Amino acid sequence: MNRLGKAFIVLGCVAVLAVASSFAQAKKTIKIALIAKNSTNPVFLAARTGAEAAAKELSAKHGIDIVIDWRTPPTEDAQVQAQRIAQAVNEGDDAILVSCSEAGKVTGAINDAVARGVPVMTFDSDAPQSKRFAFYGVDDLRTGEQVMSELAKQLGGKGKIAILAGNQNAPNLRRRVDGLKKEAAKYPGIQIVGVFNHIETPQDAAAEVLRVMNAYPDINGWGFIGGWPLFTKTLLTDLDPNKVKVVSVDALSAELPYVEKGIAPVLLAQSTYLWGYVSVEKIIDKLVLKKDVPEITRMDLVRVSKENLGTWARQLKAWGFTDVPEEYLKLP
Amino acid sequence: MHPTIRRVFNAQQSGLILVILLLGAILTVFAGSHVDRMTGRSVNNFLNFHTLTQTATDASFFAIMAVGATMVIISGGIDLSVGSIYALAGTTMAMALRSWQFSNPFVTVLVALMLCLGIGLLCGLANGVMVVGLRVHPFIITLGMMWVFRGIAFVMSKAESILVPDALTSVVKTTFGSSSALYPLPMLVMIAVTALGAIYLSRTVMGRHIYAIGGNSEASRYSGLRLGRILIGVYALSGLTAGIAAFVGISYYGSATCGDATGYELYVIASAVVGGASLSGGKGSAINAMLGAVLIVLIRQAIRQLHFDQNYEWIIIGSAIVIAVVLDQLNTRLTAKRLAKG
Repeated sequence: MNRLGKAFIVLGCVAVLAVASSFAQAKKTIKIALIAKNSTNPVFLAARTGAEAAAKELSAKHGIDIVIDWRTPPTEDAQVQAQRIAQAVNEGDDAILVSCSEAGKVTGAINDAVARGVPVMTFDSDAPQSKRFAFYGVDDLRTGEQVMSELAKQLGGKGKIAILAGNQNAPNLRRRVDGLKKEAAKYPGIQIVGVFNHIETPQDAAAEVLRVMNAYPDINGWGFIGGWPLFTKTLLTDLDPNKVKVVSVDALSAELPYVEKGIAPVLLAQSTYLWGYVSVEKIIDKLVLKKDVPEITRMDLVRVSKENLGTWARQLKAWGFTDVPEEYLKLP
Repeated sequence: MHPTIRRVFNAQQSGLILVILLLGAILTVFAGSHVDRMTGRSVNNFLNFHTLTQTATDASFFAIMAVGATMVIISGGIDLSVGSIYALAGTTMAMALRSWQFSNPFVTVLVALMLCLGIGLLCGLANGVMVVGLRVHPFIITLGMMWVFRGIAFVMSKAESILVPDALTSVVKTTFGSSSALYPLPMLVMIAVTALGAIYLSRTVMGRHIYAIGGNSEASRYSGLRLGRILIGVYALSGLTAGIAAFVGISYYGSATCGDATGYELYVIASAVVGGASLSGGKGSAINAMLGAVLIVLIRQAIRQLHFDQNYEWIIIGSAIVIAVVLDQLNTRLTAKRLAKG
C-alpha cells in the first residue's frame, strides 16, 4: 500500500473515531451529588448502593447517563456538608441529594445552590426551612412512637428503659426521641432513666450502651432510635436477652443476629437502600421528565422479627447487600 | 540571578507558594470543565471565581485560628482548645442574640462581634493563666480546657442548633456587588488577620519576644523578659483568633451548635506545622500558617476534583503533612550546613 493509501486509512479511522465520540458526547449526562451524613455509617452506604442502582436502571430506561457523585464527608460535620454542596455546584453537578447533619448549617448552602439553578432534594434528615424541592424519609415523630410501642409490648408495659439517641444536633433524631417520650407517657409502668447521646459510630454507640448498663444495672429495655451499636458484635455477648430487650430502628445485615438471638426481638427497618433509589427517581422525575414531585414523600418502616427474618434477609440480598449471612437467606 | 528574583526564591514562603501553584496548575489541567447553567459557557472546574473563593473561604476558618495557634507554637507551647473556644464563642453569641432580639442590624453585628471576640479572649486568657500559674504542660491544660469549653457550650445550649439573625449572615455573605453566591469576606478577614499576625510577629518587640521565648526560654528569662506575661498574652491571642473565626464561621453558615469545629484543632496545628512552625518552638510565621491551611484545603479539594476515592482523604492529608515537615527539616539542615561551610 502506498503512502497515500495509508494516509487515507488513518484519516478514515480518525473520522470514524470523531463521529463515534460525537455520538458518545451527544448522550446527556446528569450528575447527582450524594451527600450523606458520614461515609462510615452502613445505612448511608446502603443509600449509595440504592442511588447507583437507580442511576443504572434509569440511564438505560431514558437513554441518558446518570452519574452518582459521592461527596459524603468521612466524619459527620454539617459545615463540611455545606462546603461540599457549594463544591458540587461549582463543579457543575446537575442536582444535589443531601441528608442534613444540621439543618441550620446547610440551609444557606442549599439556598445558594438553588439560586444558581441546581435543584436540591433531602433524604433521611430534612432542612425544612430551605428551598429544597422535596424530602424523602420516615416520619420521625411516628418512628419514635413505634419504637416505644414495640418496646412496651416486649416489656409487658412495665420496666426501666433507656434511649440511645445518636448525635444530639440532628433534628430528625431529636424528633424520634420526642416521639418515643410521647408514647412512653401512655405507659405508667415504664420509667425512662435517660436519653444518651454519642458519636455516631458503631463502636462509640456500643461503648455508650455498656457504660449506661454499668451505671443502671436494672435497665431492662432499650429504645435505639438508630441501629449504631448493633453493627458491632459486642452486645451479642454483653447483653443478656433474658434481662434486656432492645427495639431499634434499622435492620441491616449485621443487625440480624440480634433478632435471631432475641436481644432485639423487633427491628424497625428503614429501607435505607430506598433513600438513594427513590430519591434519584424523584430527581430524574423533576429534572428530566419535568414531572411534579410531592414536597414530602414518607417512607414506611418495615417490622423485622424472627417471623420474617428470612424474607427480610432475601430483600437485603436483592438490594445488592453482599454481607447477608447465608443461614438467614435459607430461613422460610 | 537577579537579586530581587533571588530574594523571592529565598523567601520563607516561596516553597509553600510553589507547591500551592503547582497543585493549582494540576487541578486546572486535570479537573475538567462543565457548562455554566447561567451563562451557557464552558467553565474550568477549578479555575473559576466560585471554586477559588470557596476554597479560600473553606481555608479561612482554619487559617484565622492557625495564626493565633502559630504564635503559641512559636512560644514553645500548644493550644488544643481552639476548636472548643470556637464552639463556645459561637453558641454564646447565638444564644445571646436570640434572647436580645436587636432590631438594628448594625447593633446585632457589633454585639455579635464583641461577644465572640470577648469570649475568645477570655478563654485564651484562662488557658494562659493556668499554663503559667499552675506550671503544667500546655498540652495537658489545653486538652482539659478543650473539653471544659465544649462542655460549657453543650450545657448552655442543651445541644440545640441555634440560628443566628439574618443580619449577621448578610454581612459575612456580602457579595460586594459581584454575581450572587460569591462571598469573599471570610477570605478578606483571613488575609487581614494574617497580615496583622505577621506584622505583630516580625515588626513588634512583643512579637520578637515570642520567638525569643520559644528559641530559648532560659536565656530569655536571664535577659529580663517577663515570660509569664508574654505567655499569657500568646494564649489570649490564640483565643482571640478562635473568637474571630467563630464570628466569621457561625455567621457564614447561619447557625451554632456545641459540636461546631470538633477536631478542627488538629487541622489548625497541621496548618501551622505544614507552614514550617517547629513544635519545639522558636520558629514559624503567620503567613506560612495561612498558606499551610490553604494547602490542606487544596489537597482536600484535589481529592474530589481529580476523582480520587475520597476514602483515601485522611491517608493523603496525613502523608502530605509528614512529607511537608520532613522536607522542611531537610531544607533547614541543608541551609545550616551551607552556612557552616560558607
